[in-house]
Amino acid sequence: MSVRVKKAISKTLKGLALGLYLAFALAPILWIFITSIKPPEDIYTFPIKYWTQKPSFEAYRYLFGFANFSRYFRNSLFVTFFASIVSTFFALFSGYALSRFPFKGKGILMIFLFFTQMIPAYLLMIPQFQMFSSLKLTNNLFGIIIIYIGLGATFSTIMAKGFFDRIPVSMEEAALIDGCNRVGVLFRITVPLLLPGLAAIFSFSFVNNWNELFTAALFLDSDSKMTVPVALYSFISKAGIQWNVLGAGIIVALVPTMIVFFFAQKYIVAGLTQGAVKE
Amino acid sequence: MPASKNEKGAKAPFSSSLETRPFRSFKKKSRRFFFLLALFIPTFSVIGFLTIYPTVRGFILSFQNYTVFNIRRIRFIGLQNYEKVINSGDFGLILWNTFLWIFFSVLFQMLLGLGLALLMRKPFKGRGIYTGFVFYPWALSGFAIGLIWRWLFDGSFGIINDILIRLGFIETGIGFFSDPTLAMLAVIIVNIWYGIPFFAIMILAALQGIPKDVYESAWMDGANPINSFFKVTLPYIRPVLVNTILLRVIWVMNFPDIIYAMTRGGPAKATEILSVYMINIVFYENNNFSKASAVGVIIISLLMVFTTFYYLISNTKKMEM
Repeated sequence: MSVRVKKAISKTLKGLALGLYLAFALAPILWIFITSIKPPEDIYTFPIKYWTQKPSFEAYRYLFGFANFSRYFRNSLFVTFFASIVSTFFALFSGYALSRFPFKGKGILMIFLFFTQMIPAYLLMIPQFQMFSSLKLTNNLFGIIIIYIGLGATFSTIMAKGFFDRIPVSMEEAALIDGCNRVGVLFRITVPLLLPGLAAIFSFSFVNNWNELFTAALFLDSDSKMTVPVALYSFISKAGIQWNVLGAGIIVALVPTMIVFFFAQKYIVAGLTQGAVKE
Repeated sequence: MPASKNEKGAKAPFSSSLETRPFRSFKKKSRRFFFLLALFIPTFSVIGFLTIYPTVRGFILSFQNYTVFNIRRIRFIGLQNYEKVINSGDFGLILWNTFLWIFFSVLFQMLLGLGLALLMRKPFKGRGIYTGFVFYPWALSGFAIGLIWRWLFDGSFGIINDILIRLGFIETGIGFFSDPTLAMLAVIIVNIWYGIPFFAIMILAALQGIPKDVYESAWMDGANPINSFFKVTLPYIRPVLVNTILLRVIWVMNFPDIIYAMTRGGPAKATEILSVYMINIVFYENNNFSKASAVGVIIISLLMVFTTFYYLISNTKKMEM
């Protein structure tokens, strides 16, 4: 076999493998979307109908009209957005301090942060529930916002430090010598350079907060306070769930983080891998 | 250890300029102290109040008798919760399930993630868009993913059964969620699907850090592609693999979302892993918060033991190399 044929074959195989994997990655979402736009009589058939003659958005109409989903969606958006904004700001300050100021015990502090980052939300939810009950903050969206700020605090800080470390201090020094004060330097010089990093931190928090289920399920018990994951959770505990409606609910639950991912993909990948790649 | 590694990796390029005068010398030492304190207060009060304090409190709770039906008369009952958990008869099964879940999920996430990263290594037309479409599961809710696959694996109207019948592998639909082995297989497949992007992202980044001339010299020495993979690629991405595997094991152990959506630990506890067990206690078993906390303490202890051994083993190997 000539080298050219060999190359062509390997190229084709590679393309095939990439295509197969793409199909594997996309098929489940595609299928739940198709299910969500089918009329019920086309869903419960076997062999399966891969497409429907009469696609309809009836399930979505039911979801937002009758099932109160617009309420859950607003709740989720409100909680996620505020918690993510606040944790991004907190991380901005603490990351700046960790990156720019040498002080005693910094190494131990970093190790401490790495270990606390590994404690998952659901292990903390019971004591948090106890604490927040006595503060009358359960079944309250602000309570959930506070919990979510805590959820992302450590990881956001570590990520912010990493991003700050990549920005040379020389510009800040020049501004300091020119008589700008430290807070001014942070906001006028450093933050504009850090915008991609901040986008990554915000996106991370957004994704985590939007998807969090168990703490919200424990804390929120009235229908008007539910977030989207809790609403999906309550859907499946009810008997006789229609898969087109649940499918529509799933699509609605997935779309916001998908949008965030497609816009911030570059920054998210940078944030994920900054510890993994040596410079 | 990710801690020391990250610090080193990040610090190196600017370490000289980091320690320069303006950031070291405030006019007054006290001013520098208060400036730092102000920067740290928001984050560390949140961590203290919402992570450290609850962790300590959860530990204490695991030795008490706190349930939703017993709020007033809380007292210490020693190790009774732990005894209840360990002597329940299912504890061995739950540990075994946890092991299977972690081992097969992480193993195949890594292998397939590595494969994907190798395929995506060289630039091709539309790679940017392709990246977006294969990495997006990273951002999705595990619970929603579990629900989707519950529908795909459905015994009566599931598309997977339909495909298997059309291909002639089976004659009638399989009840994936009524058979213990198949149920475990199903939840692990979903977790693999979900976790491939994370490995691929990390490995791809590591691959792009390998200098080209290393391969050239390997070619000169007559290495074929397989040779150069084992002699060049693998040693270069090894640290990333080691760290990513650890991160993933911890994360997968603490990831009840998919199982919760698909089987809630059933049938007959066949897919019940430790984290699912704990959440089932919280939501169903009379809200026995103390018993659930004991399970939580067991989870953290197991992870600590595992992390220690993992580092000991992976470090000795490094020395041999």
